[in-house]
Amino acid sequence: MSQWLEDVIAHAEQPASNELAATWLAEQRNSSLKKLKEQKWPTRRTEAWANTSLVSVESRNAKPTPANITSWDKPAIPGLDSIDIYFVGGQLKTDLSTFTLPEGLSIYTLQDEKAEAVAASRFAQIKPERHIFGLINDAIANSGVVIDVAENAIIDTPIRLIHLANDGVENHSRVLVNVAKHAKVTIIEHGVGEEDSVNTSMSEFDVADNATLYHYRFALFTQKALHVGGCHFQVGASSYINSTIVAFGSDLSKLNIDVNYTGEHSNVDINAMYLLAEGEAFDLQSTIEHAVPNGTSNEKVHGIIGDRARANFGGRIHIHRDAQKTLAQLNNRNLLLSRRALINTKPELEIYADDVRCAHGATIAEIDDESLYYLLTRGIPRSQALIMLNFGFIQELINDIEIDPIRAWLTDMLSTRFKSMEVS
Amino acid sequence: MTDEIDQALDKKYEAGFVTDIESDTFEPGLNESVIRRLSKLKNDPEWLLEWRLSAYNTWLKMEMPDWANLGIDEIDYQAISYYSAPKSMKDKPQSLDEVDPELIRTYEKLGIPLHEQERLAGVAVDIVFDSVSVVTTFRDKLAEAGVIFCPISEAIEKYPDMVKKYLGSVVPRGDNFFSALNSAMFTDGSFVYIPKGVKCPMELSTYFRINELNTGQFERTLIIADEGSELSYLEGCTAPQRDENQLHAAVVELVALDDSKIKYSTVQNWYPGDENGKGGIYNFVTKRGIAHTNSRISWTQVETGSAVTWKYPSCILKGDNSVGEFYSVALTRGCQQADTGTKMIHLGKNTRSTIIAKGISAGRSNNAYRGLVKMGPKAENARNFTECDSLLIGDKCGAHTYPYIESRNPTAIVEHEATTSKVSDEQMFLCQQRGLDPEKAVSMIVNGFCKEVFKELPMEFAVEAGKLLEISLEGSVG
Amino acid sequence: MVNMLSIKNLHAGIEEKNILKGLDLTINPGEVHAIMGPNGAGKSTLGYVLSGRDGYEVTEGEATLNGQDLLDMEIEERAVAGLFLAFQYPVEIPGVSNMVFMKESVNAARIARGQEEYTAGEFLKLAKEACKQVQLPLDFLKRGVNEGFSGGEKKRNEIMQMILLQPSICFLDETDSGLDVDALKTVADGVNSQRSPERSFVVVTHYQRLLDYIKPDFVHILADGKIIKSGDASLALKIENEGYGFLGLNYVEEKA
Repeated sequence: MSQWLEDVIAHAEQPASNELAATWLAEQRNSSLKKLKEQKWPTRRTEAWANTSLVSVESRNAKPTPANITSWDKPAIPGLDSIDIYFVGGQLKTDLSTFTLPEGLSIYTLQDEKAEAVAASRFAQIKPERHIFGLINDAIANSGVVIDVAENAIIDTPIRLIHLANDGVENHSRVLVNVAKHAKVTIIEHGVGEEDSVNTSMSEFDVADNATLYHYRFALFTQKALHVGGCHFQVGASSYINSTIVAFGSDLSKLNIDVNYTGEHSNVDINAMYLLAEGEAFDLQSTIEHAVPNGTSNEKVHGIIGDRARANFGGRIHIHRDAQKTLAQLNNRNLLLSRRALINTKPELEIYADDVRCAHGATIAEIDDESLYYLLTRGIPRSQALIMLNFGFIQELINDIEIDPIRAWLTDMLSTRFKSMEVS
Repeated sequence: MTDEIDQALDKKYEAGFVTDIESDTFEPGLNESVIRRLSKLKNDPEWLLEWRLSAYNTWLKMEMPDWANLGIDEIDYQAISYYSAPKSMKDKPQSLDEVDPELIRTYEKLGIPLHEQERLAGVAVDIVFDSVSVVTTFRDKLAEAGVIFCPISEAIEKYPDMVKKYLGSVVPRGDNFFSALNSAMFTDGSFVYIPKGVKCPMELSTYFRINELNTGQFERTLIIADEGSELSYLEGCTAPQRDENQLHAAVVELVALDDSKIKYSTVQNWYPGDENGKGGIYNFVTKRGIAHTNSRISWTQVETGSAVTWKYPSCILKGDNSVGEFYSVALTRGCQQADTGTKMIHLGKNTRSTIIAKGISAGRSNNAYRGLVKMGPKAENARNFTECDSLLIGDKCGAHTYPYIESRNPTAIVEHEATTSKVSDEQMFLCQQRGLDPEKAVSMIVNGFCKEVFKELPMEFAVEAGKLLEISLEGSVG
Repeated sequence: MVNMLSIKNLHAGIEEKNILKGLDLTINPGEVHAIMGPNGAGKSTLGYVLSGRDGYEVTEGEATLNGQDLLDMEIEERAVAGLFLAFQYPVEIPGVSNMVFMKESVNAARIARGQEEYTAGEFLKLAKEACKQVQLPLDFLKRGVNEGFSGGEKKRNEIMQMILLQPSICFLDETDSGLDVDALKTVADGVNSQRSPERSFVVVTHYQRLLDYIKPDFVHILADGKIIKSGDASLALKIENEGYGFLGLNYVEEKA
């Protein structure tokens, strides 16, 4: 076991440090803590961690107590009108009582008594138990929000949860979103920073029958900002989820996505992109559990890996015995820009029902010669043409984004980042 | 419709009889003295005994892998007999006339006539019965071309330098749990050497049969294709129907020197166990080839037998411009479990690999493709194309795909595609409307599904594989 | 007077296969030349060799554009120098917007000529006009380059690029193939609108049909890597009526 985990467990066992010990969460916390103690700390021989090293976490002392930071940057998405909630230094910094929320939308802190009715039956129930960092977050998260969208409520203003990486700080925050029947909401999880820190932000989404969720997770952690997080979705009948993931890499950055279908005739689209420069590492693991019939999933993951960067992708589609008439697709495309870059990809199909259509594909490619020739015949300089072609690969996914300001912001930010990467 | 498919798939294992023949069989168990005894019996040179003992010591420190998608009972390695030979082999027969007639009848039953006048036209066969090679046909004709085709025990005696140089060079002793076990205890197997520039005048073939109860088969095949040579090699396997699980842990090493071509085809039909999963062969095989400059290694396999298969014929594409191919059909039914695939390790420039894997699952079986494609940092312009297709027959089986892909070279291109499908009611309806019975219809659809792989098999084998598939599918429709 | 395009004794091929075997062609400003010939004669190869496509190797001969050695230049330098190739099968480039693509192309040429780059606003105006001229809906500017375009839309997109790039010599490689009459007319109108005393065209085609709309000054027959006969527009009519037989060629032309 690592020193860091020992510190975390010790912290979780101190009643004084646990502001939530007496609330509705206490029982769940104890149960997760127990499971955490029984889990083996992963090594490179643990399949889920075979290509991602935990050394940078193991070797540090844990600081699970939040730091009180009083001023911070506010990362803007120009032109986006959103309800912004800040997590800084491991603390929830936004006073939720100041909001005038649209009808049908409620946002509570984890400590709020009113959260219990929504959260008690869902907290840590949507997220699978196998993620060790999920158990850690269960046991020590002390800042977080519960977002409740009432039946039939259509919430037009996106809710943005902003996580900042601050030097020497850990952020174990938690989000639970309940989208009731026929409701619609947009949630943006926006994490950013490069300073020496640890972030385990976990979010759980319960999307009820006929509900719609648009979700974004920007894991823009770089350099020493360590991040092992998760987004976990439970999909009710006839519902729709659209999730967009954008990631950079740091010394350790990993995101687990889990989708579990509980109702039939639902549709989930996931578009993920990673753009890794220098020595960055990023690990994306997605698991789609088609547990009921008639579900549809379509996952596209596009990545560009430059310099000495390392990307690891695992995409599992699991069709359960009863999940007849499932349509599942997964596609992972990668572009390596340098001789020192590394990609590991592992799309997996595990199928136990016979009347289904599933396909996955993974490609690792160089730039298409014919496209390059076409651009050159139009007089575009070679270096510029290479950027256009490579970036086209990411732009394809950006173009699918529904919200104009986010699309413009990402195009600008990602193309700038891409231009700084060396194309050999 | 499904019921009809169900009924159509239930057929007995045709090679399941036992040959009543007197055998010398070691007591079950594995230890250093068993190895010494085997080594003495085989007249091993000193270096080989040392080699076996060192492999044994490595094996002792290893654990049986559990990462494959398999559910099997723990194997008691002390309950297996590691050597069994027909008594009549003690004074080795000098010609076919001296071979025990019971043994000859066994092979006739299996459709492999050993008498020269009846043998398979143009195919030289080495027959391995339990732990020993009993006969090799066409040796004189091969010798004229300079081709060496003989039991490996004979090669150790006659060509010690060559064996010593290449044995374990592709699959090191400690490569995995089963290769270590095989290296310690291999009893016999085939040896092939094709000299420089020679195109082997006929197909070479080894036929493996496990007969004795509670016996493991640990054969070792070593094939060396010298510069510019060509060879097509076939391998077939069967075993009697028994309630106990039996272990087969072979090692096959291929060495393709510059500009050579090796085509290695397998039709594996070990006893798969009964419909409830009782009995059957545990087939844990390590097959690997090393491809030098401009050479080509093709693996083609049709896997219909064994209770459990755990097999990944692989290519190390070391030389520039070398080519690796893997064509596979794996059919599982009853309670069979197959976890098979390949590894393509691209080290040299312009190396190419193609993987076509077709999995058919029926009954309560599980069928997994597991493969690795790795592009090394020096694999400039290397290419891989992989296609894995699964066909499910019935709703109690499983089909799985676990590809591992790793690239460290920006000029390398890897493409992987996988799909899954079923034998649809519409397809069945069409076939039946045209007058085909359901069994024939399924077999036709499955054959079509496997066509890409069958066309890679040598002619005689392709027909046999098609038939085997048909037989295996009988009774598993559903 | 300096010839616009001058090709002398050009030998070229791909992967050691000779395709062009001593081709001569001289084109002066303002002229329209049609090149016809059987399949495999080397018509498309000529376009690829002139534009500098990788894999095509010139073994002998020369080609100059406005006195500059064309064969010594990079692909993009040839484009900036005024050579435009309209492809027979334009490639799809998903994700790269047509607008961005064309703006970068036009500005590359302007930079080379020492002109100011167009701003996004200025260029949008030009692009919209060109788009209307080739009768493509305006949303084609936003879509990926040729992404999901029909055959005819791809050809119109090529002509739109030509209009925006203002090249000095345009090489149209079977631009008429796969077009219905209306589309053919739109494409021809686009080409005709660009005819000027300073600009020349090479029109590669199998059919007289296109030449009804784009009147050539010269017609050349390319066979087995050489121009074996040159003449005026009447030569194209003769071929349409009689095939290549009268030239001693036994090729059977496939029908459209």
